[in-house]
Amino acid sequence: MSEREFHPEVKRLLDGEITIADLPLELRAEGEEALRLLAAVDRSLIAVPAVTWRVMAALERRRWRRRFVPWLLVPALAVAALVLWIVRPWTPERVASRDAVTVRFVLVAPGAQHVSLAGTFNHWDPRATPLVRAGSGDLWTATLSLPPGQHQYAFVVDGTRWVPDPTAPAIDDGFGRRNSVLTL
Amino acid sequence: MLFSRGGGYRLRAETDAGDGDIVRAVLAGDRERYAELVDRYRDRYARYAARMLGSKDAAEDAVQDAFVRAFDQLAQCQDPNKFVGWFFLILRNRCFAEQRRSKATAPLQAADAIATRESADEVAETAERLRALQHALLELTAEQREVFVLKHVEGLSYQEIAERLSTSVPSLKMRMHRAYDRLREQLREHT
Repeated sequence: MSEREFHPEVKRLLDGEITIADLPLELRAEGEEALRLLAAVDRSLIAVPAVTWRVMAALERRRWRRRFVPWLLVPALAVAALVLWIVRPWTPERVASRDAVTVRFVLVAPGAQHVSLAGTFNHWDPRATPLVRAGSGDLWTATLSLPPGQHQYAFVVDGTRWVPDPTAPAIDDGFGRRNSVLTL
Repeated sequence: MLFSRGGGYRLRAETDAGDGDIVRAVLAGDRERYAELVDRYRDRYARYAARMLGSKDAAEDAVQDAFVRAFDQLAQCQDPNKFVGWFFLILRNRCFAEQRRSKATAPLQAADAIATRESADEVAETAERLRALQHALLELTAEQREVFVLKHVEGLSYQEIAERLSTSVPSLKMRMHRAYDRLREQLREHT
């Protein structure tokens, strides 16, 4: 047995089949080394509270996509557009407000591999709200249900390029970037 | 349901009352109840995915994707009362696929993020041990890492792991014992 391998009895200790007191004296030091290894195991939970919302939003988006596929393929959408819908898909806001407005965000982004939406409604998390490519073209869309009020946002192209919505008014965010503004 | 043994939380999935009712309700059209299942299991399985993938972000994506896939295939869940065991296999496949896909990337840096974030208030030595072990875990094969995570992070017995992965206890032990040796080697090189 190599110096780098644990003794079979120490492996039984690691498996929880015996205690360190069961080891012969000459293996105690090795046993303690093994227990230090197990003591370093990180068993803390990983909190991912956003997953629930993201899963339900993804399911809802796909239901919408299935329902509106013919509409999404209308070739007249050659420029970015923002369309409001009065519908009520699943979102946390739906519970809180009966007046939630469903907003469809659309961006034409030639050559983009990934487009997402970051704004005040998702804590500016560029990973929280990915847009979906419509067909195989350059048109990307996302549908959100938002509460009444003013929202600021931007599109994030390929994870690095922040692009204001060309169809919406924009304001300076104070850090040299322009945020689009949507008032519902 | 969660309960504690030996300092770690473990899963008792098979008897989790209520999962079957929720699955049946979702299949009957009450889609929103699926959020209850996601709430119930997301953090626990994010831990498994984070230890497997070495990154909290990758784990979050994997768990999200697995829940969406599970929803799509929910009608194929033969025993709704065992939803979580069935879901675990979907997540497991997702994690293994991710590991194959991103083998060339640098998960070790991400591992630092896990260990550092969760041990910020602990003494430096403990934090260093956590980090060193997480590094060493990522040097194991995916199969070795999985059995280590299921036994020593999730707290499952060899028998429970064998049932979950449809394999035998002796083969799991062989895999685990190789993992022990590899971890020892890695940790000695590190220190």
